[in-house]
Amino acid sequence: MFSDLKRIGLEACVLIAFGVLVGLSLNHQLLLDAFSGHLVSPPRQTAQESVTIALPMPALIDEVQQVTASGGLIVDARSPDQFAAGHIDGAVSLPLVEIDTVLPDFVSGVDKNRTLVIYCSGFGCPDSFDLAVRLIESGYQDVRVFEGGYPEWRDAGLPVVGNEQ
Amino acid sequence: MKRCFYHLARLALALVFVYAGAVKMQDVVAFSGHVAAYQVLPYAMNYLVAATLPYVEFLAGVMLLLNVRVRPALLVIGAMTLVFMAALVSVLLRGLAIDCGCFDPGGGQDVTAGVALLRDIALMALVVLVWWLRVRSEE
Repeated sequence: MFSDLKRIGLEACVLIAFGVLVGLSLNHQLLLDAFSGHLVSPPRQTAQESVTIALPMPALIDEVQQVTASGGLIVDARSPDQFAAGHIDGAVSLPLVEIDTVLPDFVSGVDKNRTLVIYCSGFGCPDSFDLAVRLIESGYQDVRVFEGGYPEWRDAGLPVVGNEQ
Repeated sequence: MKRCFYHLARLALALVFVYAGAVKMQDVVAFSGHVAAYQVLPYAMNYLVAATLPYVEFLAGVMLLLNVRVRPALLVIGAMTLVFMAALVSVLLRGLAIDCGCFDPGGGQDVTAGVALLRDIALMALVVLVWWLRVRSEE
């Protein structure tokens, strides 16, 4: 009976190890990026562009709070509707879907040396990354992406503003 | 009759885990967002869990489906379900309003932690039932 359980336990461990190995090998690039701290949502621009463009740095939720405390600006990349429904307290709206019409006003109103933190709807949402690339192209020196986005901020109980509360 | 009951319970459990693993494999990045929402792991660890857990779920489900190495597969599924239950209890205690992320990570609203916990209790009961019927059938 005991040796039977031991065999079952051993086989269960082999099963887990095999599953983990398959997962690691299929997702190794994603994990290398995540553990080297360079993970931002998958870029959607063409390969030639990405070679020459400086990439935005990821920011964790604590860094976002530090940045705003020291005069940085939080930028919301989501649509105006989503922004109205709920956004991070103090964030300005710069919707990626209307970027060509809203960018000139933004550039003329915000200093190029100011630290910017961009967010959208959290993990798996590429808009913050794409917007960050656009802002770097426009000459901003310190642009970061808050990957957790609005959901992580709200779920952490930090201040939000909007009509869906 | 008992034999038929065993196979039904085994297949039901197998399909739940094959499906859960398969949909999460499709979008590992989105699933890591769901794991991150539990706020129990550091940043990069969420990706590690998201990159491996669906494959273990899928594999254990397939073993169960094929009726090979049933008890090791049940042990793995039972252990995972216990971990999920612990995570959900911690979510409820901390009062986080998050989706459970149990199945399709790209889809719309998933169930809340409370409902997911009840579902996991049912899954756990199914694990015990299949194990018990299996042992009985071998005696």
